[in-house]
Amino acid sequence: MSGATFTWNGRPVPFLAGQSLAAALDAAGVRDLGADGLGSRRRVFCAIGACQGCLVRRDGQVVEACLTVATEGAEVTPVTSTTPEAHHD
Amino acid sequence: MTEPDVLVIGAGPAGVSAAVTLAEAGLSVRLCDQGPRPGGAIHRQPAPGAAGRVPVPAAQRRRWAALARRLEESAVDLRPGTVFAGLDATGAVLVEDRAAGTVAALHPRGLILATGAVERIMPRPGWELPGVLTAGALQVMMKESGRPPAGRTLLAGSGPLLVAVAAQMARLGCPPVAVVEAGRPLAVAAKGLGLLATPAILHEATGYMATLARHRVPWLQGARVTCIAADAGALRVTVARGTAAAHKPEALGFTVDRLALHDGIRPNDTGLPEDTQATDNGGPHILRAGDCREALGGAAAVADGERAARAMLRRLGRACGRPSPDLSGFRRAQAVLADLFRPAVAPLDHLPPETILCRCERRTLADLRRVVADGAHSAREVKLNGRFAMGACQGRFCAETTDRLLARLLAEGAAPGTTAGSPGRARWPVRPVSVAALIASSPTSPSDTPLHED
Repeated sequence: MSGATFTWNGRPVPFLAGQSLAAALDAAGVRDLGADGLGSRRRVFCAIGACQGCLVRRDGQVVEACLTVATEGAEVTPVTSTTPEAHHD
Repeated sequence: MTEPDVLVIGAGPAGVSAAVTLAEAGLSVRLCDQGPRPGGAIHRQPAPGAAGRVPVPAAQRRRWAALARRLEESAVDLRPGTVFAGLDATGAVLVEDRAAGTVAALHPRGLILATGAVERIMPRPGWELPGVLTAGALQVMMKESGRPPAGRTLLAGSGPLLVAVAAQMARLGCPPVAVVEAGRPLAVAAKGLGLLATPAILHEATGYMATLARHRVPWLQGARVTCIAADAGALRVTVARGTAAAHKPEALGFTVDRLALHDGIRPNDTGLPEDTQATDNGGPHILRAGDCREALGGAAAVADGERAARAMLRRLGRACGRPSPDLSGFRRAQAVLADLFRPAVAPLDHLPPETILCRCERRTLADLRRVVADGAHSAREVKLNGRFAMGACQGRFCAETTDRLLARLLAEGAAPGTTAGSPGRARWPVRPVSVAALIASSPTSPSDTPLHED
């Protein structure tokens, strides 16, 4: 492990170089990716970009965690996070 | 920027095979893939920092090595991080470049779609909970990371992928707590069903079963998940074993961190255009290749990619005398597997009414019965009035199930259509696209046509 991390809800998450956010979060024991606004919880389901279940906000932009490569220092939060940083749009 | 002769979507075995075949014939080819590197799902490559390597059959490894070498030596223009968004009304092909945050409108003479397969997942009470994912998802993340998922994992559903994934996890040091198989493959195989005609399957399957036995992984046949519940940060999974008909089914409980489901595979073709001749207003010839045309597996995909490339060459006026590869052996193999792994209890029977069918919109079986009782008698009405298949996955994981249950609820003989929408009427985007990317789109055609709504 290189020691590189991104943050999930402010908490550092380690990742392997080239690994997706989805795989890194799963390895860190994070399976609940936040509320989806319709009563369900977001989560990694298909890992091939088809189900749209793993949407997260990475540096302000909504992306599929399974299609997004983890990068050092990225700030990743649930899409419907109520932290002040998420209210840019 | 010059436009390619042929655009290929999907850098799995079918897409790469098609792309290199076309490039070797002298055409300019752009190969797009949503992921960061080629391989698709079956040949998912480890990330540069991967912790290890998932064992795969030697023949499979050699197959990819040969394709990757041809790709590297070819003039194919590989574009990772690029998503196919559909065709607009003028026939322009829309592709989203995720890194650049733009959508381009391209005008190739040919388009080959090689988007692979997607898993069938039957609904089960609680399948919407975090920690429940597909077996294929578990496998690609394991291949990318080079290590098995941590914690307790239960694999459930039906099909050969479950034993393959279980064996791979075991060999990497973290076997699943059990494999729950709805079929009874051993009982079916004992009837001598066609296995001798498919020795490759028998060889591979025996290897996986031996690995499971060596690691003492329970393989429960004729068993299915009947309930999934959240339990203090973990999942409590209830499994019923035995058919309801003859004996009372035995109920088993598992507490796990992760439940990986798999009920088969089908083409990943939601919203994809059909095979098409080039249109007068500039739309390309369109052909499908690999699992997204017909789900026959990775070996067939290489052959099918070559077939599609040769068919495209003929469409573009290039003589191409090579015969098409024979896929009948692959079809036979899939038929044998389907027989072996047929569920003992039909997966859609006995669903409690509160079972979620459409996870994106949180619509249940009770909601489906209500919308039918309120007068909906076609899939289109069910979709528009009930919101089934109207969510972010665009019906990819719910349309087929909803259609089958709807057919049961309606009068016998009714043909309600499909909530997935007919392919001919699919409108772009076929995958969610960010509005910012559309606004930033830069048309690349000489006539500078903007994106067209239909």
